[in-house]
Amino acid sequence: MMKHFLKKSWSEEKFAVLVFLILSLLPVFISGYIIYILPQYMLYGTLAMSLGLLWGFTGILSFGQAGFFALGAYTMGLCMKYNGFGINPAYAGIILSAFMGAGLATIIGYFLFSAGVRDAYFVIVTLALSIIVEQIAVSQSDITGGWNGFFIDRMSLTLGSGREISLFNDVPMYYFVLPLVAFVYFLLRKLITSKFGKVLIGIRENEDRAISLGFNTSLYKTAAFAISGAVATWAGALYGTHAGFVAPSLGGVSFSTEVVVWTALGGRTSLLGVFLGGVMVASLSNYLSAITPRFWQLVLGILFVTTIIYFKGGVAGALTQFTLFNRKTPLKSIQEVRAEQAMRVD
Amino acid sequence: MMSIIVSVLFDAALLTLTLALAALGLAVIYGLMGVINMGHGAMLTLGAYLTWAATSRGIPFVFSVLLAALIVGVIGLLLEHLVIRHFYDKPFETLLITWGFFLIMTELIKIVFGTDLRNVKNPLPDSINLGIVELPAYQSLLACISLFLIFTLAVVFYHTSLGIKIRALIQNREMASLLGVNIAYMYKMVFVAGSCIAGLAGALISPLLSVDPYIGMVFLARSFFVVIVGGIGQILGGTLVGSFLIGGSETFFAALQFKQTFAQTIVFALAIVVLRFRPSGLWTVQGRR
Repeated sequence: MMKHFLKKSWSEEKFAVLVFLILSLLPVFISGYIIYILPQYMLYGTLAMSLGLLWGFTGILSFGQAGFFALGAYTMGLCMKYNGFGINPAYAGIILSAFMGAGLATIIGYFLFSAGVRDAYFVIVTLALSIIVEQIAVSQSDITGGWNGFFIDRMSLTLGSGREISLFNDVPMYYFVLPLVAFVYFLLRKLITSKFGKVLIGIRENEDRAISLGFNTSLYKTAAFAISGAVATWAGALYGTHAGFVAPSLGGVSFSTEVVVWTALGGRTSLLGVFLGGVMVASLSNYLSAITPRFWQLVLGILFVTTIIYFKGGVAGALTQFTLFNRKTPLKSIQEVRAEQAMRVD
Repeated sequence: MMSIIVSVLFDAALLTLTLALAALGLAVIYGLMGVINMGHGAMLTLGAYLTWAATSRGIPFVFSVLLAALIVGVIGLLLEHLVIRHFYDKPFETLLITWGFFLIMTELIKIVFGTDLRNVKNPLPDSINLGIVELPAYQSLLACISLFLIFTLAVVFYHTSLGIKIRALIQNREMASLLGVNIAYMYKMVFVAGSCIAGLAGALISPLLSVDPYIGMVFLARSFFVVIVGGIGQILGGTLVGSFLIGGSETFFAALQFKQTFAQTIVFALAIVVLRFRPSGLWTVQGRR
C-alpha cells in the first residue's frame, strides 16, 4: 500500500508519510498541553484540506467551510446528548455528520451549480451559508443552547465484545484522531490523482473548455462540494467531542475566513501544504497570540495579502519553486500537467 | 390595526434606506468596476470609528462625518493605487486581496482604538410626529440622505458625460479606451468614490449602534446580497429593491413574531433562491445584460 503511494508520485506522498510518522512519534517524546491541543489542529488541517480540494483543485472558493465544521460539532453534540440510536452515540455522530455534510452540500451545490452560479456569486452564497448556520445556532436556543453553546462529552470506543475504551485521556484520543486524519489525507490525495481529480483540475483551469469537451461540470462541481462538505462536517464532529464544547462562533464568518487564510498560506494546490498550513497557522496563532496578541493577527493579514499577490502557491508552492522536489517547471504542479494531458486526450 | 400597518411600513422604509446607504459604496465599486470589494465592511467600520474619534474630541458631528468620509476615501485611493489597479482583470485575486485588506484594517482598528464598545452621541435624539406614527428624527434624516445620494448617483450615471463614459467603460472597455476614455483614471475615481461613500455610510450609521471592530462584517454579507439581488450595475432601482428585500422585509418577518436572528436567516435563504433563478438580479430586464 505504502509502496504504491510512493511510486505513483513520490514527491508529496513521501513527504506526507514522513509528516504523519513524525506526528505519530510525538507523544513518545512530549506530553501535556501540546498533545492535548495537536489533534484539534490536525482537525483544523483536515478542514483546510476540505477547502483545498474545493479551492485549490476545483477552483471554487468557499467562505462557508466553518459552517459545515460547526454543523458536524453540533450533530456530534446532539447525538451525545440524546445518546445515539442504540449504538455508540459517538459513532452515530461521526457517521451522521458526514452524511449530513455531504447531503447539504449536494443540495446547495446542485441547486446553484446547475443554474450556472459561479465564481464570486458562489463565494457570496457560501459567506451567507456560514452566517445562516451561525444564526440558526443562535436562534434555536432550545436545542443548541443559543449564544452559550453547550458541552459535549469525550467519546469512547466500543469494541465488538462489549468493551469500552474511553478516550478521555489525551494520548488515546491523539492516537484515535491521527490515523483518521492521515486516512482522509491519503483518500483525498488518491481522489485528486484519479481521473475524477483530473476533470476537477480541468474545470479549474478552463471550465468552458471542459464543458465543450462534454463534461457535465455542474455534476463534477457538486460532487467536489459534497466531498468537501462531508470532510469538513466529519472533522467538525471529531473536533466537537475533542474540544468538549460547541458554540455558534465555530460556524461564523470569521472562523470561515480563517480557513481561507490557512489554505492560502499553506499552498492551495498542494494537499499536504494545505494540511500543514492549517496545523501550523493554528499552532502559531495560539503561540504568538500569547506573546504579541495585538500584532499577530495583523502579521497574519499582511502575510495573507503578500501570499495572494506574490506567491500563488503559498508556502508549499514556494518550496517547490526552490527545487525542493527538484522540478523543472516549478509553478505547474504534477496534477496540472496531468490535467492538461487529460484534456488533450479525452 | 391601521396604525400598526403604517408603522411597519415606515419602519421597513427606514431600514431599507439605511441598508441602501450601507450597500451603496459596494454597489458603486462592484457594479461599475466589477471589483468585489470585501474590504467594504472595514471601510464602514473605519468611517464609524473616525466619527467617534472626531466627535469625542469636540468636533461637530457634521464635520466629523465629512472628515471620516474623506479619510476613508484617501485610504481607498492608496489601496487602489498600490494594489488593486494591478489586478483589474483578475476578479478572484481582487476578492482575496480586498479580503486581506479587511483583515489588516480590522486589526489596525483594534490596535489603534481598542476593542471596547464605543458610542457616538445621537445628534438628533428627538422624534418626528406624523400624526399616525412617530419616527426617530435622526433615522429619518439618514433615510433622506440615502435617497438623495442614490438619486444623485443615478443622475450622474445617466445624465452627465461622465456617466456616459462610465457606461461606455462597462459595455466595452477596449472600445471606450480607443475612443479616448482614460480607463485607469476612471477606475481610480470610481474606486475612490465608492470608498468615500462607504466611509460616509459608516460615519452616518455610527450613532445608531454601538461601534465595535466588527460592525462592518454585519453589513458586508447583506450589502453583497443587496447588490446581487437588486442587480449589479443597477444603482438606483437595484439598490432600492435589493435593500428592501434584504433589510426592509425583515421588519415584516419581525412583525409576524419571528425572532430577529431567525428572520434574517429566512431572508438570506430567500436571497439565495432569488440568485438561483435570477442570477443577474431582480431589477434587470431579462436578456438585456
